[in-house]
Amino acid sequence: MSFVSNSPLSGTANTGRLTALRMPATVALSFAIIAIILAWSLAPQFFTTYSPVVGVPADKFLGPSFSHWFGTDHLGRDLYARVVYGTASSVSSALVAVVIGVLFGGLIGLLAGFLGGWVDVVLARLVDVLLSIPKFLLAVIVVTAIGFETINAAIATGVSAVAFFARVTRSEVIKTRQATFVEASYLSGGSRWYILLRHVLPNASRSVLPLAVLQFGESILIIASLAFLGYGDPPPASDWGLLISIGKDYLKWPWLVYAPAFVTIVTVLSVNRISRWLRKTD
Amino acid sequence: MSNAYLTYAAKRLGQAVVVILLAYVFTFVVVSILPGDPITSVLRNPQNGFSEQEIAEIIAAQGLDKPVPVQLWNALSGFLTGDLGMSMRSNRPVSTLIAEVLPSTLILAGAGLAVALVLAMLVAYGTRFVPKKYGQGLLRGFPSLFLSVPNFVIGLVLIHLFGFQLGLFRVINPDSFWATLFAAVALGIPVSAQIAEVLIANLDKEAEQEYATVARSRGIGQLKLFIRHLLKPASLPVVTVIALTIGELLGGSLITETVFGRTGVGSLVQRSVSTQDLPVLQAIVSLGAVVFVLVNLIADLLYPLLDPRVKILGGAKRRPTTTDEPSLGSAKAVNP
Amino acid sequence: MTDRSTLLSLSRRRLLLTASALTAAALVATTGLEPTLAADSPKEGGDITFLIDSLGDTWIPNNSAISSFQGHIWGHVTDKLLYVDAEGKVSPWLVERWAQNDNATEFTLHLKQGVTFSDGEPLDSKAVVANLDIWYAGRKNEGINPIGLFPKTYDRAEAVDAATVKVFFKKPTLGFLPTLGYHGSILTSPKSIAQPASVQADLSKTAGSGPYVVESWKEGDHVTLVKRKDYNWGPAAVGHTGPAFLDTITYKLVSEPSLRVASVQSGQADVAYNASPQELKSLKDEGFTVATPRYLGFVNGWAVNTKLPPYDDVKVRQALQAGINRQEIIDTVYTPDWHLATSFIQSNVPGATDQSALLAYDPAKAEKLLDEAGWVKGANGIRTKDGKELSLTLHSNPYLATSKSVDELIAQQLGRIGWKVVIRAYDVVTYGEKVKFGGAAVPTYEVTRSFIDAGTVAGILTNANNGENWFALDDRDTKINDLRDKIAGAGSIEERSPLLNDLQKYVLDQGYFIPRTQIVQRIYVQAPTLKGEVYNGVAYASYYTAFIAD
Repeated sequence: MSFVSNSPLSGTANTGRLTALRMPATVALSFAIIAIILAWSLAPQFFTTYSPVVGVPADKFLGPSFSHWFGTDHLGRDLYARVVYGTASSVSSALVAVVIGVLFGGLIGLLAGFLGGWVDVVLARLVDVLLSIPKFLLAVIVVTAIGFETINAAIATGVSAVAFFARVTRSEVIKTRQATFVEASYLSGGSRWYILLRHVLPNASRSVLPLAVLQFGESILIIASLAFLGYGDPPPASDWGLLISIGKDYLKWPWLVYAPAFVTIVTVLSVNRISRWLRKTD
Repeated sequence: MSNAYLTYAAKRLGQAVVVILLAYVFTFVVVSILPGDPITSVLRNPQNGFSEQEIAEIIAAQGLDKPVPVQLWNALSGFLTGDLGMSMRSNRPVSTLIAEVLPSTLILAGAGLAVALVLAMLVAYGTRFVPKKYGQGLLRGFPSLFLSVPNFVIGLVLIHLFGFQLGLFRVINPDSFWATLFAAVALGIPVSAQIAEVLIANLDKEAEQEYATVARSRGIGQLKLFIRHLLKPASLPVVTVIALTIGELLGGSLITETVFGRTGVGSLVQRSVSTQDLPVLQAIVSLGAVVFVLVNLIADLLYPLLDPRVKILGGAKRRPTTTDEPSLGSAKAVNP
Repeated sequence: MTDRSTLLSLSRRRLLLTASALTAAALVATTGLEPTLAADSPKEGGDITFLIDSLGDTWIPNNSAISSFQGHIWGHVTDKLLYVDAEGKVSPWLVERWAQNDNATEFTLHLKQGVTFSDGEPLDSKAVVANLDIWYAGRKNEGINPIGLFPKTYDRAEAVDAATVKVFFKKPTLGFLPTLGYHGSILTSPKSIAQPASVQADLSKTAGSGPYVVESWKEGDHVTLVKRKDYNWGPAAVGHTGPAFLDTITYKLVSEPSLRVASVQSGQADVAYNASPQELKSLKDEGFTVATPRYLGFVNGWAVNTKLPPYDDVKVRQALQAGINRQEIIDTVYTPDWHLATSFIQSNVPGATDQSALLAYDPAKAEKLLDEAGWVKGANGIRTKDGKELSLTLHSNPYLATSKSVDELIAQQLGRIGWKVVIRAYDVVTYGEKVKFGGAAVPTYEVTRSFIDAGTVAGILTNANNGENWFALDDRDTKINDLRDKIAGAGSIEERSPLLNDLQKYVLDQGYFIPRTQIVQRIYVQAPTLKGEVYNGVAYASYYTAFIAD
């Protein structure tokens, strides 16, 4: 709703641009957190000296301490190292999900909105079908069909987001197409593809970007939930959702759940904050 | 209701039927991609000691070796005549299975929705009445926080705090009042975030608008103003969001039921998925589609009643928020 | 106690069947009575709740009796013809006496009289014939499977009179009698057997003759059993034949292991099934009863696919055998309640011999063997030969909860001597489809399997008579086939034992089977007040003799 209420037409748009330059502290913090998360996923070896795979079996279930920030797990592996090394897979799988959702959803929405007619009707039914199945149920069914792995969980999550992005893109495209400047461009003889690339696509993508960022956070959670139900990579993978899922079997040692859960929550919170800020400033 | 509206309603109903059938076929195709079924997996349990030849014989006797289109046709024709078929896993009628688990899920989803509404209202009221310096900003951050916590983590924390530490409920009796309440909290928190976001955004918008200021100058009390002029118009989009969160509630029950050990549609899905029990999955997906379509239809009908400003113009104008607008931008469902 | 003499004389007739019938009977007479004699006198009444991770899929008796989960319920609702205890000893139950012809193709079973099913039907010879027939054949087109482990050599059964059944086989079938005490062979009422599959799938509609009957059940939720007051035909071997002591037993599904344990700890339930091994020590310290009964069968380990390079090389297989630190597995993943593997069959199986020397952890030897086999350690620590990495793909067994953890630990151990280990974990359905003995991409198949009699082992390992050909040897290894034939033809335990010893030594020395640990597939954590339960040969807990002590 706030997407509508914050549309550029509202009177607050101009002041919004000004505040954009002065980034709120929480947004800055969010960017800092995301920067750390990205660094973890790109170069985990700089952040920990422990191996995420090989542990010291005698050191199992140590509590958090200076030598093991998040404690150790049931095989004596450093949990902080497991979290850091699991970041790449957690982040990239969420990215895959977003890309699938945005690309396929965007394409469907673009075609439906721009071409209209029977194409629109057929695609609308397809989107309706995807929408009518509860998203998480859809993800579970898809991941079952293609196999229990993190990448497949990412694909399933992406598929479950296709309908949403298709709808958003379609309505954005229709809105832009009806805008006066596009009408004018038609009248002045611009080709369909030129108009699509020059006017429709940029406008649509501007509204889709914050939603894609939001979807990124959501995908992390859905993939974690799928991992929690057992639809993730086999060991010794250490995606955050898998870590929480493994940790729940050892609730006597609560840090095994709380540490990866904390990292997940903070990451998603940061992503959501950034998405909100993007929508406000756009 | 005008004639045009009825035509429009009939058309939508037709579309709904098509969607449900397509959802049925979609599930069949997706689940059929992978070889494997409950019967074979039981036969292949190494403890059973069946030889490959015996397995092949039993599979053939069950008609599972038939080509996929034939199986689809058999299933679909049964579905169209109201026969949901037999569960391959448990050898019991699918309708019996669903009837067994449905009440529990309806109670959980209903309680979850109630919790979500109450929470959302509290947060939204809060942003109106709590002054900026006493943490209004914090309240405004709540929906974002609620959306960022995986609901299985909420569930695990609740169980350990209230179930085991405080002994408020017995984990082995998940249908008791307290156990249901806490399951509803775990399920409701992410959903409340979506509703709260919409409420807050609309309260802000309405508050800016003229008639609110006019009303205030007339000297109406804060609470009355809030209810009469702010909450009622702001509740319109909320009806829409609730309609859309039904799906989230059903999807969320999958995890919440697992965490709290409830026996419901969610746990039935999980058991059916893990054994690829196609007939059960198809029935549940179709059922979900029916619920989704119905709830949205009801929301469509409710909308003009709540806001006289929304007129049905020749049936073309619907409630402005669900089907065509990208309005769920901020209120997007994050947790499954 | 008058049973003792008959038991003894009966056992002599069938010397071939179990390890040593004489000691068996003596042991039954002494240790068999232990559960009730050891504790204070049993108290009548009481209700218990047993938390279980699943209640399995279908309740059609034939399809579910061997399930790790439903077996618990069937064990209380139904009886069997013979009893097999935790040491593999066979003793009378509903069959009081039996006889067989010389070449084990005809058996005569004499039934206990006055036994009834809970639907009022008598458990007579006709009922037994109906059960034998459905175990052997099932009704495949209806979805009622045969019992996979029932002898395929079955020909027919005849009711001689109301209390006598004669069973005929096409070929000698020594394994028939132990099969009758196995978890698949549960007796249900002929009326229930005649019902279609969809009715059989409703647990409350199946009638057995056991000490408990089903009071209520809900799929995926619970099964509540209530005591049958007129029951008085329990197996003599457990020392009690009258009605059960506990009034009700509720099996309640709680899928999270930590929640099951926490519920028992907080007094909300009495038994937690399949607890995480890691929690057992602290539970014991808190005074809870922890039971880790072993079933009779193979140890947990790998059957190596000898067709798949590099595992066609005996040196690589032997390096694998020496490269695993089995003690570390027990120390890390398990507790001292688990036993080191001493052979590829569990040490409580009659006929198992101690081959520990072949299973010692010796990384230096493993490295030397790999060097000799031409696998050279590269810069990254992984060995290569002809440009190929020394790799091992493990498929974690979905039927054993700790399998993944053990795989991870072994991956670390083998990693140190230059192996590249990849772990794959499938769900039960996919696993059944993709992972098979000797499969093209399956270098090692993880075994968890109970069996009835050590004499059948050799047949399972090789390809003879529809054997399972575990090592994909086909007919290439004449020595193992030779041993198999000799074991099958052995006329007595004395003759068979040294052959079994040779087989165990040979299979382990060749690295065909790589044991990990002795298997405990069923772990029970129990409230200290609950006493007197009995574990049978497949490690199921029976609460027939259990009671709540004050």
